[in-house]
Amino acid sequence: MTLENVLINALEQGFIYAFMAMGVLLTFIMLGFPDLTVEGTFPFGAAVTATAVVSGISPIYAVILGSLAGGIAGAATGLMHTKLKINNILAGILTTSALYTVMLRLMGRPNTPLLAYDNVYGQVLGWIGISQDQLTAVQNHIAIILTLSAVVLVTRLLMGWLLATDLGLAIRATGNNERMIRNLGVNTDNTKLIALVISNCLVALSGALACQVQGFADVGMGIGVLVAAVASVIIGESLFGKRSVGWLLTGVILGSIFYRGVLALALRLGLPAHDFKLITAVLVLGALSIPLLKRKKRKNGVLNGGTVPRWHRTVLNLLDNKADGRDVAR
Amino acid sequence: MIRLKGVTKYFFPGTANQVKALDNINLHIRPGDFVTVIGSNGAGKSTLLNTVAGVIEVDEGRIELNGKDVTDQPEYRRAGSIGYIDQNPLASTAADMTVEENLAMAFMRGKRRGLSRAVTRSRVTAFKNTLTQIGMGLENRLKVPVGTLSGGQRQALALAMATVVQPKLLLLDEHTAALDPKAARLIMDITDRLIRTNNLTTLMVTHNMEQALRYGNRLVMMHRGKIILDIGPKEKQCLSVPDLVKKFTQSSGDVFDDDRVLLAQAE
Ligand SMILES: Nc1ncnc2c1ncn2[C@@H]1O[C@H](COP(=O)(O)OP(=O)(O)O)[C@@H](O)[C@H]1O
Ligand SMILES: [Mg+2]
Repeated sequence: MTLENVLINALEQGFIYAFMAMGVLLTFIMLGFPDLTVEGTFPFGAAVTATAVVSGISPIYAVILGSLAGGIAGAATGLMHTKLKINNILAGILTTSALYTVMLRLMGRPNTPLLAYDNVYGQVLGWIGISQDQLTAVQNHIAIILTLSAVVLVTRLLMGWLLATDLGLAIRATGNNERMIRNLGVNTDNTKLIALVISNCLVALSGALACQVQGFADVGMGIGVLVAAVASVIIGESLFGKRSVGWLLTGVILGSIFYRGVLALALRLGLPAHDFKLITAVLVLGALSIPLLKRKKRKNGVLNGGTVPRWHRTVLNLLDNKADGRDVAR
Repeated sequence: MIRLKGVTKYFFPGTANQVKALDNINLHIRPGDFVTVIGSNGAGKSTLLNTVAGVIEVDEGRIELNGKDVTDQPEYRRAGSIGYIDQNPLASTAADMTVEENLAMAFMRGKRRGLSRAVTRSRVTAFKNTLTQIGMGLENRLKVPVGTLSGGQRQALALAMATVVQPKLLLLDEHTAALDPKAARLIMDITDRLIRTNNLTTLMVTHNMEQALRYGNRLVMMHRGKIILDIGPKEKQCLSVPDLVKKFTQSSGDVFDDDRVLLAQAE
């Protein structure tokens, strides 16, 4: 891989997975809801898109359909958790498991090749009168990157706007202080549901756009995407974010590009691709355990004060078995 | 205004650990009443406030708000009319969000939240007015995350949030207890001023007998889930702390066992 390819890879993959990173930011960090549905929603978005394309639906609508299908999966997890009081992690696992069957039924087999069909990027190029066949491989990648960057930008602006509305504030407060926002008249079941739907729409959009670039959808393509998104969010939060919601959103997009860039670079340096998941896991574990260790110290009275970053609070709450944030009395 | 009839609440019912936290509570609060609630540890004061706010469901009895039965209404439905501040400064505000965002959420108390901008110029004007009334300089720190404020500032913000839209009923659960004495006094002064200028109907739990006597027009004393004393404005005015301790011993046949109350006496 040349350096040029590393850059192309970082931007292309980074943008594709940026939607997912924003979705994970919304649930894991803002809502404090460790939503494991995303491992199923990502391939589900791809599977729905691929099936739609194969059945003759225009790629752009197929992608939108794939994204919306993800929202339905998010709603399933949300309803299980809020209405049936199923633990949040288990609810995500149940949905993911169910989605596996749905995808197989939908595609009729584990894999749908799409190379024989028009893709959404070609369609967008077609709007400005260019055919993908006229372009070199690199030019094609650049066209894809430009298309993706526009969609990422629009999504980033929409998310920034949403999170500054009355509803957006209620969603963020649900993760930050559920008791308070309920006391202010918000049915937090609804805010959780809305956030899960939006998040999973974004995750499925990543899946849909990924299958359009790689030319196939596969039921197994969701394995490990969550830990990658988590890594992007952690990078984004620590390098760029924290100052405001806007910075956080921009940060996770940059974090996604950065993470994919590091992977591409590692690949260029000759590291085998199948080592990545372990490396990512170790990186995430390291980043997560630092504040945990700090907190342990504080408990022993060595360290006082200091705040645990937002991100880690979700994990800490999990360990304290308070993932719901619900009061004992309820 | 608010009426509790035979309200009873058990924790862990039907087990060996069963606690009767509220035992046939009857209470009628009239508009404009400022009721202070006092009682030993575990008397059921917080549980009383929580049932009024709808945070916990009652097992028996009914609760009426403005003549309407709200017994089965969840908390988020009652919220439009009830402001609630807890003793924990972390509980009534959202730490990761800014002062103005917290106020914007309180501004929409009990209303439908849609897709309009939360922090608008006209709302900020209203927030500044409320914060200026509080008088702790928070009107100049609108964009600061609440997590960086002191406990006293956070309770002051909680007061601003509870009153930015006038609530029909204000519930205060030892809201100065976790603060240092100086901040506690300041917050209590602000509270009293806000309640009086806005004529707020208030139920305030305190562990400080002196406070319970100094503020408000009515005093309710609780013991083991029951209301054992309900003292009106006239009698309250001429009561002293030793009188109150004596009255407690007479009515409950028990010794007032809350260290904090006795300490508060000594202050
Ligand atoms: N969430 C709860 N679960 C179980 N028991 C509780 C709960 N809340 C309060 N209690 C019990 O109910 C009784 C009254 O508690 P509370 O209302 O908090 O007292 P106070 O505020 O007067 O100190 C106590 O015995 C307490 O242990
Ligand atoms: Mg209490």
